[in-house]
Amino acid sequence: MRTPSGRWSTGRLLIVVALVAVVGGALVGTAVGYGFHYEARQTRNIYLFNNGLDFNETTFGLPHDTFTPDHITVNKGDTVVLHYINIEDKPEKHNFSIGVPYNIDVDVAQGQTAEITFTANYAGIFLYYCKYHTPTMEGYLTVQG
Amino acid sequence: MRINMRSRSTLRWTSTTLAVITGAINFYYGNTFAGFYENLWYVMGGIYIFAAIVLAANVMPNFVQPTIFGYALFLLSLWAVGALLTGAGVDAVAFVDKGVEALLAVNMGLLIQKSRIQ
Repeated sequence: MRTPSGRWSTGRLLIVVALVAVVGGALVGTAVGYGFHYEARQTRNIYLFNNGLDFNETTFGLPHDTFTPDHITVNKGDTVVLHYINIEDKPEKHNFSIGVPYNIDVDVAQGQTAEITFTANYAGIFLYYCKYHTPTMEGYLTVQG
Repeated sequence: MRINMRSRSTLRWTSTTLAVITGAINFYYGNTFAGFYENLWYVMGGIYIFAAIVLAANVMPNFVQPTIFGYALFLLSLWAVGALLTGAGVDAVAFVDKGVEALLAVNMGLLIQKSRIQ
C-alpha cells in the first residue's frame, strides 16, 4: 500500500487517520459520558416560604422567622424561578434579597406570591435573606459550575 | 494541472472558511449554552481558528491537512458518543456546528487527495 516513493497511498492515509480519529473520539466520548455527570442547563422552579420557630422573640432578641428551604442548589447557567409565598396569618411583610452579583430585593406582602426569575450566571455560594428579619431569616444559594 | 491547482486552492480556502465558521460556533456555544464545559468549547474553537490560520498559510500541508481531517472526525465521534451517553449537546446550534464539521472533514479529505496528486 505504499507508493514507489515510500509514502502511504492517499486512500490508506485517509482510512488510517479516520480510524484513529473516530476510535479516539469514541473512547474520549465514552470516558466523558461515564466520568462526568453533566446536566444540561435547565429552568428550576423552586417554592420558597417564610416559616416561624416557636420561641419568644423578646426573650431572645431575635426574630423567629426563617426560610423554607434555607439551601438552594442549582447549576451555573440554570434559569431559577423562585415562587416566594408569604404564608403569614397576620399582616407582616417579608423580603427576599441577594447582594452582588445578582442584586435581588423583592418584598412580599401577607398572602401574596412573588415570582423572582434570574439566570444563575455566577458560580459560588450566595447568602439570601429577608432584610426585615435578619439574622435568622437567611439561607444559601449554591451555584455550582 | 492548472485545473488541479485551482481546485486545490478552492478546497483549501473552503476548508479555511469552514474551520473559521466552526471555530466561531464553538466560541458562541461555549459562551451561551455549554454550562460546565464552556472552557472546553473555547479550547476546541481556538484550535479550529489556529488550524484555519495554518491552513490558509499552507504551512506543512502534508502534516497539517491530515491532522485537521482527523481533528474534525475526532470531535464528531466524541460528540456523537457523548450525546448518546449523556443527552448533552443535542440542540440546534450543536447540530449546525457538527454539520459544518462534517463538511469540513469531507472537504479536507478531498483536499488531501488533490494535494497528493503530483
